[in-house]
Amino acid sequence: MDNLKDLTIKSFGEGLREKKFSAMEATLAYFENIKKTDPSLGAYLHLMEESAVTQAEKVDLALQNDENLGALAGVPLAIKDNILIKGHPATAASKMLKDYVASYNASVINKLEKSGAIFLGKTNMDEFAMGSSTENSAFRLTRNPRDMERVPGGSSGGSAAAVAGDLALAALGSDTGGSIRQPAALCGVVGLKSTYGTVSRSGLIAMASSLDQIGPITKTVADAAQVFMAIQGSDPLDNTNVGLEYDPKEILEPKLENVKKLRIGVPKEFMVGGLEDKVQAGIEQAIEKIKSLGLEFKTISLPNAKYALSTYYIIMPAEVSSNLARFDGIRYGTRDGENKKQSLLDIYLSERGRGFGAETKRRIILGTFVLSSGYYDAYYEKAQRVRALMRRDLNEAFKEVDVILSPTTPTTAFKIGEKTSDPLSMYLSDIFTIPANMAEIPAISIPVEKFKEGELPVGFQLMGRRFREADILGLGQYYEKLN
Amino acid sequence: MASPINKKVLQSLSGLARLELQDKEADKILEDLRNILDHFNELQELDTSSVVSEVIPEKGRKIFREDEERIGTNLGAGKESFPQTEDGFLAIPPVFKD
Repeated sequence: MDNLKDLTIKSFGEGLREKKFSAMEATLAYFENIKKTDPSLGAYLHLMEESAVTQAEKVDLALQNDENLGALAGVPLAIKDNILIKGHPATAASKMLKDYVASYNASVINKLEKSGAIFLGKTNMDEFAMGSSTENSAFRLTRNPRDMERVPGGSSGGSAAAVAGDLALAALGSDTGGSIRQPAALCGVVGLKSTYGTVSRSGLIAMASSLDQIGPITKTVADAAQVFMAIQGSDPLDNTNVGLEYDPKEILEPKLENVKKLRIGVPKEFMVGGLEDKVQAGIEQAIEKIKSLGLEFKTISLPNAKYALSTYYIIMPAEVSSNLARFDGIRYGTRDGENKKQSLLDIYLSERGRGFGAETKRRIILGTFVLSSGYYDAYYEKAQRVRALMRRDLNEAFKEVDVILSPTTPTTAFKIGEKTSDPLSMYLSDIFTIPANMAEIPAISIPVEKFKEGELPVGFQLMGRRFREADILGLGQYYEKLN
Repeated sequence: MASPINKKVLQSLSGLARLELQDKEADKILEDLRNILDHFNELQELDTSSVVSEVIPEKGRKIFREDEERIGTNLGAGKESFPQTEDGFLAIPPVFKD
């Protein structure tokens, strides 16, 4: 197991079945790399070596006995720290949850266990998934493995860094406004946010419930399709789950003749001004490559997309302020500073004041403001109406095209500390990714080309119709064959 | 347009949100919120009077499930991660001051 770099889920499965290596050897090889690299990279918050070794033993025993192996048998995964794994910490990178140990499994974890996957550990993130650089973690800094002076993106920065740095073969992240796709783009890996309601949110620490979705971060689109198939599907524990089961054949083995029929739209509003030169050039390169497959391109218009940021930063904090009310300092939290003379209200105020970081507080206050009497109509309700307009724009566009192509981010990975003092400039990182969450449609970020030493990666985004993950995953799988 | 937010409003919001803010912290949040709310003003140029929002929470919608035994509800789980317990009970601070 000396070459983790070229390993994909597909080649891993073949190697395991052909007995070129065992699940145990693979697991230990990843832990060796983690111990060597992670002290400087900072991808993980908590390692799960003991339970991973037990999982690997089980897979190897099943292999020895010629038992049927799950689709992800032995695959070493990293899991974002806002997804619960029973018996292990789940801090969501917040001081508020520094001692919290999950008392049940997230539904995606149960599904992954069933498919034979192995969990290496929990990855760093922006506190409660709020941020675009992972700098809002209460515990540590994560660096971009492609350039250690730069951020990995966020909020699933630890997961993206782990995959890009070969500290896991694949990972799970969560995406509320781009938190899977943006770090994937900045680290040169693939990130998929599926249609809202297709992957269970049970056991995901909620940020903004109408937008949150768990999804894979992987090295290839084919791998993303594999992990997506393992985690999608119905779940009675999530009442926003649509109960749909995808057809594995269409997702995993797309036909070129179907991909060639896809009509691609490029929104004119996304291609004017503000793009870093390298991103602009990357998108043009991606378009040329897709054209070489013989696909038809069309310029489309999403006139209300320019309001995405304002709309998102009203709706999301409103939901954040409600969801984070459960962290009252009593059921969770440290109660370190507790003084017997304090009343319950005093404890709420002081524990929440001490337990949450700056960005989390900013969003709780903003959310409380937009929901408050007198401002509700001007902000929250207005934003919900604009959200409806943005959905309408996308529905109109999808009458003419099947897939919408855009940059994933306006810039490549920025320097650590570059944007921390100006929240608005940080928020702009999500300008192209927010519309997919607003409209509940699937979207994927794919590297324009294979990573070249000394260059910063650029990602492009494909958005599809609701429940048409097959279109973006199909095109993506043929795109990466061109590389 | 004058910013709808000032020190007094912020104080009231942090009370509603049960969030104690240090003075320095409050100053920074105030400045950031003013900038962010300025940015939000762009929404006012849009006429949305004829738009029906699909996602405004519905009032009065009730979803009841059948009253039958289903998946275990994890009763008692998490007790061990509760910050304080006493004789098997979860200990919480008094609601009122002495």
